[in-house]
Amino acid sequence: MEFAATIVILTCTYALLAAGTVILYKAGRVVNFAHGELAIVGGYVFYSAGLMSGGTSLWFPVAGAVVFSIIMGMFIYMAMMRRLVGEPFYVAILVTVGIGIVLKSAILVIWRAERLTIDVGVTPAIRMAGGATLSYMDIASVVLTVAFFAGLYLFFRFTRLGVQFRGTAENALLASQRGVDVNFVLSLAWVIAILAASLSGVLYGGRAFLSTESVTIGLAGLTAALVGGLDSLRGAVAGAFIVACAQYLTVRLVDPVLSEAVPFLLLVIVMSIRPWGLFGTQEELDRV
Amino acid sequence: MSRTGYNLRTNYLESNEVIRRPYQKVLVAMVLAVAVLLPAATSTFFVHLLNLCFLSAIGALGLMLLTGFCGQISLGHAAFLAVGAFTTVILTVHVGAPFVVVIPAAAVTGAVLGFIIGLPSLRFRGVYLAIITLAMHYTVIFLATSYQANFAKSASAGITIPDPSIGPLVIKGEYTWYYFSLVLLTLVTIWCVNLIRTRPGRAWMAIRDRDIAAEALGINLTRYKLMAFMVSSTLASVSGSLLAYYSNVVTVETYTIDLAVIYVAMIIVGGMGSILGALMGAIFMTLLPFGIDGLFSYLPREWRYGSTVFGVQVGAVGICIILFLLIEPKGLAEIWRRIETYFDRWPFRYRPLDTTRH
Amino acid sequence: MTDILLQVRQLEVVYHRVATAVQGVSLEVPKGSIVALVGTNGAGKTTTLRAISGFLPSEDAEITDGDITYGDRRINGQLPHQMARAGVILVPERDKVFGTLSVEDNLEFAARGGGEITLERVLGYFPLLTQRKSQLAGYLSGGEKQMLAIGMALLCRPTLLLIDELSLGLAPIVIKDLMALLHRISKELGLTVLLVEQNANAALAIADFGYVMEGGRVVFYGKASELISHPDVREFYLGGAAQSETKSYRDIKQYRRKRRWWG
Ligand SMILES: Nc1ncnc2c1ncn2[C@@H]1O[C@H](COP(=O)(O)OP(=O)(O)OP(=O)(O)O)[C@@H](O)[C@H]1O
Ligand SMILES: [Mg+2]
Repeated sequence: MEFAATIVILTCTYALLAAGTVILYKAGRVVNFAHGELAIVGGYVFYSAGLMSGGTSLWFPVAGAVVFSIIMGMFIYMAMMRRLVGEPFYVAILVTVGIGIVLKSAILVIWRAERLTIDVGVTPAIRMAGGATLSYMDIASVVLTVAFFAGLYLFFRFTRLGVQFRGTAENALLASQRGVDVNFVLSLAWVIAILAASLSGVLYGGRAFLSTESVTIGLAGLTAALVGGLDSLRGAVAGAFIVACAQYLTVRLVDPVLSEAVPFLLLVIVMSIRPWGLFGTQEELDRV
Repeated sequence: MSRTGYNLRTNYLESNEVIRRPYQKVLVAMVLAVAVLLPAATSTFFVHLLNLCFLSAIGALGLMLLTGFCGQISLGHAAFLAVGAFTTVILTVHVGAPFVVVIPAAAVTGAVLGFIIGLPSLRFRGVYLAIITLAMHYTVIFLATSYQANFAKSASAGITIPDPSIGPLVIKGEYTWYYFSLVLLTLVTIWCVNLIRTRPGRAWMAIRDRDIAAEALGINLTRYKLMAFMVSSTLASVSGSLLAYYSNVVTVETYTIDLAVIYVAMIIVGGMGSILGALMGAIFMTLLPFGIDGLFSYLPREWRYGSTVFGVQVGAVGICIILFLLIEPKGLAEIWRRIETYFDRWPFRYRPLDTTRH
Repeated sequence: MTDILLQVRQLEVVYHRVATAVQGVSLEVPKGSIVALVGTNGAGKTTTLRAISGFLPSEDAEITDGDITYGDRRINGQLPHQMARAGVILVPERDKVFGTLSVEDNLEFAARGGGEITLERVLGYFPLLTQRKSQLAGYLSGGEKQMLAIGMALLCRPTLLLIDELSLGLAPIVIKDLMALLHRISKELGLTVLLVEQNANAALAIADFGYVMEGGRVVFYGKASELISHPDVREFYLGGAAQSETKSYRDIKQYRRKRRWWG
């Protein structure tokens, strides 16, 4: 029972990250190497906003994380990514690598690399069959993740903005010619992706801890996205589940030190069998 | 005498010239002369910094060949350095092998690993390849970590290795190392320059600019991509081995992903596709943290937390990467080129024919 | 005199800072009229339309000279979505629909509330689309794509409709129907249309005015009916030289002599 709970929550954490990676990839053909850093900094912001408000209400930290996502998303897109269209592909990747390392330094400078665990004040409550305990935090994680994916689905499927979003991802020029402000849509993609990452960071910080080392969850998320297929949201969930299982089993059965390398070993396996991922489209392989 | 401007090349012989401007010979000679005389004029600490610059420049040249010339992006350079360092550890500590054996051995291990990492590059491009090199990094670091943990329970501070010696000559102390690494770097640089202006270099640049077209031109992609990876990892591994010898201690904590990013930063800041850029970038990025450290010493004490200084040093790397990519994508080498062009044209101010725009 | 909705004066467009595609093109589109722009391949027709409807920064194209005036506004260098919101809607040559969206979503993509052009009305013009509503646009045939593209453009509430190669890849009979439909739509909705065409005969048949481009310049212009009967235009651009006699050296000389650049 214990292991099922762990895997489910790990899946949620990675699925949120992978979803962000997929959205960014679809919107602008960028692969974001700073996603883990964004997630953890989002978690830190949540924590600090909570401290500032004296830990009385959940709204304050939530608002903090949302504001962080909006500012970061707009800034990254408008100040950096927007200028990179037409440059060689590696430029965008390396810029995100640069962003990642700057965020890491922010953790060192602003939070002094403190190891923090986010505690929203709900204690473990439910005893499961088999002796495992499940905290409200865990349940909230699952509910929030499901809600996020459901919201995303409804947004892309039924709202006009969502449709415009999908159109922009396919053909930005035509979208622009039909009156869509492409810059707005692509900034929005960044904001949504960072929002998901922050949520993931908060979940991770609630269950484990936030520190400069925990940014490696970004790599797990990236692997999840690749395993599932870089252009598929469904794949993000499936990939997250696979990575979570593999990681959990390695930590349990083999060696905890290996757990960081696990996603990549998995990746190498998937790449040699089905390089475009489980749900991805084959053509994408040549695009980046 | 007709002069079309030094940036415009009108035939093959010209495009193969290493030194085009008459004064460049003087400049190179002057730089070398200054380099030879410099230790007499500066402090031991500064010589130490220059040693670090020279030794990491060898690794940076390796990455420049791979990324700057062959267009294969790699985030695994720290792992190649680690391979060199740990080969050194294993050979010196367990076998007691001498320096002249260890360095070639490190080169061979590096080449073998480079070959293995090069294999996926035949199938994957771009982002996918970058992620695979990242995977390689973590796998190598995992192996190194377990080795270090098994080596000695108390090896958390690192594994000590003895000073190297070539025959009767022991390479020890900043000044000996200085001349040793200067000679080595000069040789490696000359080798790299020749490599890129001959067949492999031209093949790499063709692959970088358009791999499919390169293949259609009859360039053997398999061969040249693997070669780029092997040359790159060999240089990195040798550089890692030398740095290990120089610092006398090897610990796996040195070889973080941040180190790989620093090497990427070196070639971006220096300027993609320029040997001179690799040297300038290596010097810039090696000195940067010390410069920041120096700046912090002017600040009030309460500002100088260890994590703050370290954080700013790390952040500066990222900011350099971003700013150079956005504002001066061809790096310091391009700035230098502009200065040179300015003096070439000197009394005239018209804009030169822009031959470098892509 | 009729109002001029769009005026292009001495337009020059340069791609990638090196390739001049259009040089000194001037044209006028009176309000409520249909103007045809014809010419050989690579004449710069698409470039002219794109300059009017705006380039994305990533395209690395630049208007280096001239003015484009829409209504009484100079619109050089506006972004495509700004032009679209101002009512200048382009139906591009290629990639004119979103292949991964359904037909319905494609139409909805553009629909702006209000105005007299409703979804029902558009579907009334193109009844075929009704049957295909839930199908992915990528799987439509070329002609259906063209109809969808025009429908999409109409739903953007255009004042000035720019159409690039209405006839691209369509059967002659379909071209004729589509041209007639376009004529009807523009009259019913009071649209102004600037139509780029390879099929000059079909275009000039519904147009009020025509411009002939070659090598990045306008070489002839005039009333459509005059152009269509102008012997030089017929011979050089419409491909239907009246006589079928073999050309002599004299004709070629004449070709040289008669060809000239305007503006
Ligand atoms: N993106 C581009 N980059 C560089 N040059 C371009 C680009 N687009 C067009 N050109 C050049 O501009 C010139 C005019 O092209 P344009 O597409 O406007 O012609 P066109 O009249 O529409 O031709 P067609 O009838 O074949 O569609 C051509 O010489 C073409 O090579
Ligand atoms: Mg055209």
